[in-house]
Amino acid sequence: MLEVISVKKSFKDSTEHVLKGIDFKVDKGEVVAIIGPSGSGKTTLLRCISFLEKADEGQIRFAGHTYDMKTISKAHIHELRMNMGFVFQNFNLFRNKTALENVMEGLIIPRKMNKDEAKNIALEMLHKVGLGDRADYYPDNLSGGQQQRVAIARALALNPEVILFDEPTSALDPELTVEVLEVMKRLATEGTTMVVVTHEMEFAKEVANRVVFMEGGVIVEDAPAKVFFESPKEARSADFIRKK
Amino acid sequence: MSERLFEILLTSFPQLLEAAVRVTIPVTLGAFLLSVVLGVLLAVVQVADIKVLKQLSQIYIWIFRGTPVIVQLFIIFFGLPYVGIIIDAIPAAIIGFGLNLAAYNAESIRAAILSVPKGQTEAAYLVGLTYPQLMRRIVLPQAIRVAFPSLWNNLISLVKDTSLAASITVAEMFTRAQQVAARTYEPLAMYLEAAFIYLIICTILTWLQHVIEYKMAWEKPDGNRRKNIVC
Ligand SMILES: Nc1ncnc2c1ncn2[C@@H]1O[C@H](COP(=O)(O)OP(=O)(O)O)[C@@H](O)[C@H]1O
Ligand SMILES: [Mg+2]
Repeated sequence: MLEVISVKKSFKDSTEHVLKGIDFKVDKGEVVAIIGPSGSGKTTLLRCISFLEKADEGQIRFAGHTYDMKTISKAHIHELRMNMGFVFQNFNLFRNKTALENVMEGLIIPRKMNKDEAKNIALEMLHKVGLGDRADYYPDNLSGGQQQRVAIARALALNPEVILFDEPTSALDPELTVEVLEVMKRLATEGTTMVVVTHEMEFAKEVANRVVFMEGGVIVEDAPAKVFFESPKEARSADFIRKK
Repeated sequence: MSERLFEILLTSFPQLLEAAVRVTIPVTLGAFLLSVVLGVLLAVVQVADIKVLKQLSQIYIWIFRGTPVIVQLFIIFFGLPYVGIIIDAIPAAIIGFGLNLAAYNAESIRAAILSVPKGQTEAAYLVGLTYPQLMRRIVLPQAIRVAFPSLWNNLISLVKDTSLAASITVAEMFTRAQQVAARTYEPLAMYLEAAFIYLIICTILTWLQHVIEYKMAWEKPDGNRRKNIVC
């Protein structure tokens, strides 16, 4: 459903590639966990997939179309993004908008839905993440865990084909981490297609269908979760799991 | 206080107040409005990095901040008629002060725009907003709030600077005070009276600043819920 092929990426100020040829694929309904030491390029990969960064080379296949990631047009980027959700490590809610308005924004403006309909969907999504009673709150008056759940509702409301999560709980205290992971587990059981960069090994073990282990800009191992955690093929993956 | 002096102050007070209400305040508000709208435009074309317009904006700011406002007023009111552009004194004052202040406001607004976290911009693109939508709906509302104290500061300065409009024949409040002072030979009392009225206006503006800041806040000390608002 979503596939990227030989993605390479380096940043302006260095010649070394941060991504050195990544091939990676998600099927519909799958939950893929991407793990790996910090600096291995996990964030950069998600940002290239959502075109927040421009890859130097590579192709993306999504919803039946294939695009060159370097030469893709703005219109096509927009089209791809309209079918993708993204949840950031630090939430990135719109600070001048309430929880409800945050969730509605993508519906009423880019998708031109009428306000009543958008409001119903937004409220439904806020209920789904357990925040039906916080609809009128501004981000500044929500805890980190609540903000992240609003961010998840904002992504969900747009009914994307896939949602990309970049360490959604890394900025949260342990007790707030739980409430966010609970929501994500529920989405997984409902069949939401998700790509989750995470350091939560328990979550990966329990929820992911597949685990992708990255290090130094390459995918070291890509295996079904059970296989990965019980009998990793690569010594480096085994090492990484042991240290966690 | 002598009875005569008291009489002079009493009869001149309504006259000064009238000049304030009819001239000083409208000139201030008109110029301020112009300066904010133009300031936003000057700031946005810079942040958006629009070719040519960005350079024009920088040149504009360079010129209007680099020359005295009184010279700008003279050019507009006394100079432009020589190229066939004739503007009445009050509109000329509004334009002059507005163009001048826009240069200062643009810098405050530009800094405020840059203070809005980049993550929100990325989030906006990812839900599908375009750049103009992102600016209008997410960035500018936050930037205006951040810039507000310094914009308001400029407004308070402007109230007092409007006395310079006298030099292009605008009969604003201070001109009235001068006239009465000349007629009655009571400069000390008259100028104190004018100062007092400026002080009142600025006091009201300072009070308004707190009211508006409270209204604009999206995290209020008292539990902070705007009820039943949608967009
Ligand atoms: N904007 C950037 N400019 C330069 N280097 C960057 C930038 N973003 C990330 N990097 C570098 O790319 C590498 C991979 O980073 P990242 O994708 O954030 O890793 P991870 O998410 O796995 O921790 C790191 O060495 C990081 O320093
Ligand atoms: Mg990262």
